[in-house]
Amino acid sequence: MTTTLAGGRAARRQTMRRIRPRRSPAVPLLIAVWAGAAAVLWLWWHNTPAIADNNGRVLNAGRITGLLAGYLMALVVLQMARVPALERRVGSDRVARWHAMSGRYTLCLIVAHVFLTMWGYALQAGRSLGDVVQQTVDSVNQLPDMGKAAIGTGLFVLIGVSSVGGIRRRLPYDAWYHVHLLTYAAVFLTFWHQITTGNDFAVEPVAKTFWYGLYGAVTALVLWYRILTPVRLNVRHRMRVEAVIEETPGIVSVLIGGRRLHRMGAEAGQFFRWRFLAPGMRFSSHPYSLSAAPRPDMLRITVKAIGDHSSRLRELVPGTRVWAEGPYGALTAQRRSRGKVLLVAGGVGITPMRALFETLPGAAGDITLLYRANTTQDLALWDELAAIAEERGARLMYAVNSPDGERPDISAENLQRKIPDVDHHDVFMCGPPGFAQSVYEALRGAGVPARRIHHESFEM
Amino acid sequence: MHALNKNRPFRRIVLASAATVSGMVLLLSLKPHAGPALAAGTPAPAPTSSSSSASPGTTKAPATGTRTVTGDSVQTRWGPVQVRVTIKSGKLTDVTAVAYPTENPRDQEINGYAVPQLRREALNAQSAQIDSVSGATYTSDGYRQSLQSALDSAGL
Repeated sequence: MTTTLAGGRAARRQTMRRIRPRRSPAVPLLIAVWAGAAAVLWLWWHNTPAIADNNGRVLNAGRITGLLAGYLMALVVLQMARVPALERRVGSDRVARWHAMSGRYTLCLIVAHVFLTMWGYALQAGRSLGDVVQQTVDSVNQLPDMGKAAIGTGLFVLIGVSSVGGIRRRLPYDAWYHVHLLTYAAVFLTFWHQITTGNDFAVEPVAKTFWYGLYGAVTALVLWYRILTPVRLNVRHRMRVEAVIEETPGIVSVLIGGRRLHRMGAEAGQFFRWRFLAPGMRFSSHPYSLSAAPRPDMLRITVKAIGDHSSRLRELVPGTRVWAEGPYGALTAQRRSRGKVLLVAGGVGITPMRALFETLPGAAGDITLLYRANTTQDLALWDELAAIAEERGARLMYAVNSPDGERPDISAENLQRKIPDVDHHDVFMCGPPGFAQSVYEALRGAGVPARRIHHESFEM
Repeated sequence: MHALNKNRPFRRIVLASAATVSGMVLLLSLKPHAGPALAAGTPAPAPTSSSSSASPGTTKAPATGTRTVTGDSVQTRWGPVQVRVTIKSGKLTDVTAVAYPTENPRDQEINGYAVPQLRREALNAQSAQIDSVSGATYTSDGYRQSLQSALDSAGL
């Protein structure tokens, strides 16, 4: 059975809108980050009169790495504060990749900072490199707030280890996630030694104020967007499971009812992080895209049963309370720069594409959807897509394996043959990483510029 | 850069590490290496014999017997530094730090090795022309200035 959520009035109204591309704020943000790093280095430069010898070099290297780590740590947390400008304009996936990258880098800086500082202290005390461990123990015992900092550093290392590719894949998602939440504790514990033992903050009240300001602002943003905003959203909209529908073997749709859902500001192509308050599911939330344009009384997600969580969705009982956070994601109509659009979906990646297919502004013939699945049985939501294509005058194509299991050839030549003006399209793409990669290369080969290939991926 | 461009994690790691390390080496080598020259006006390594210097001094006492002179209290970023010198027969025989920063345990730790080292250097040099102790730059500066003022007062 398929659901028919197509043809809502709101969706039809959206198809008439003008195309107004908005730039991603990524570049100005990155410039601000570099400027901040330069300011931190200037602070060190300004407060360091001279370096006497090698020992001084080691100590100062420790100070620089420490200052940079303290600065980046605030930004690493900020990246996960679910700030709308980051989640909806830069894109949750891109911000998550920044977070992973800067998190790894910051952890390296922390380790370097600890080692260099303790080595420098050991040299000062006339000890050798071999006494670094003893020096560390002494410093942790003697210096203010260093006990806390040591525990915090231990937590950072634990979080880092749990996020290493091979280990993370072996851990259940929930375990990894809860270890990751310890970051807040670790940041809190390591903050204080920066203020009490950091040269630059001890002598420079302005720098200290700035540091408090940085960490205070990040704390406020985390509280606001990770706690208050979701609480307000869920108190207002009171969402519950209405029905669970099997679309194809292994793919289910969950219909979610609630109050005035159109006021949540969700756009086609976006997702929420969903938490179903059912036994065994309430402790973790998962991102699933809306598979239809939001209606005032109904949202729909469509999910492939691959993990623990997604297979349990099938057993959800109507009436189950739903806690949602969002909307997030930048794969929306705002990304588009011109008239013609090609949507490419791989497997269950159809969900955001289905919503965009219905709502993207465009005249007849402007919108094309290419849907890749293993077999025609796996083409979830096909009837709806056909109905939308019919109504909008849009093109709908699919590519499935041949009966003997051979994969269809999505190459630059084939794309150009099927869509002769493919290089004049904006491309929106959602699918598994390997698929997205090969389609990206084919599209680039067919002359589509990289800036017009819009894609979201949650693989790190 | 597009997320789907060929991702070369190894190259990225090498680039990030190389950039960080070379940036840091550059910063550290751009900093002046010696402590700021403080003992102004005495370019020559003041030898012990030049007790009858041109400077009028305060007490033109004979260069025999034991005297102690206390230097100025020099305000540093971390607190005041002040030394007292003992002079016997025109020779600097002892330097005692009567004030130095002890506000926090790190200060105490630093002074545990920096002050003895500065004293040793001063006795060897028989002047305030001494090197900074790394990690105790401010204390070293204060120490030199206070020592210089004490030596000036003693006419040494």
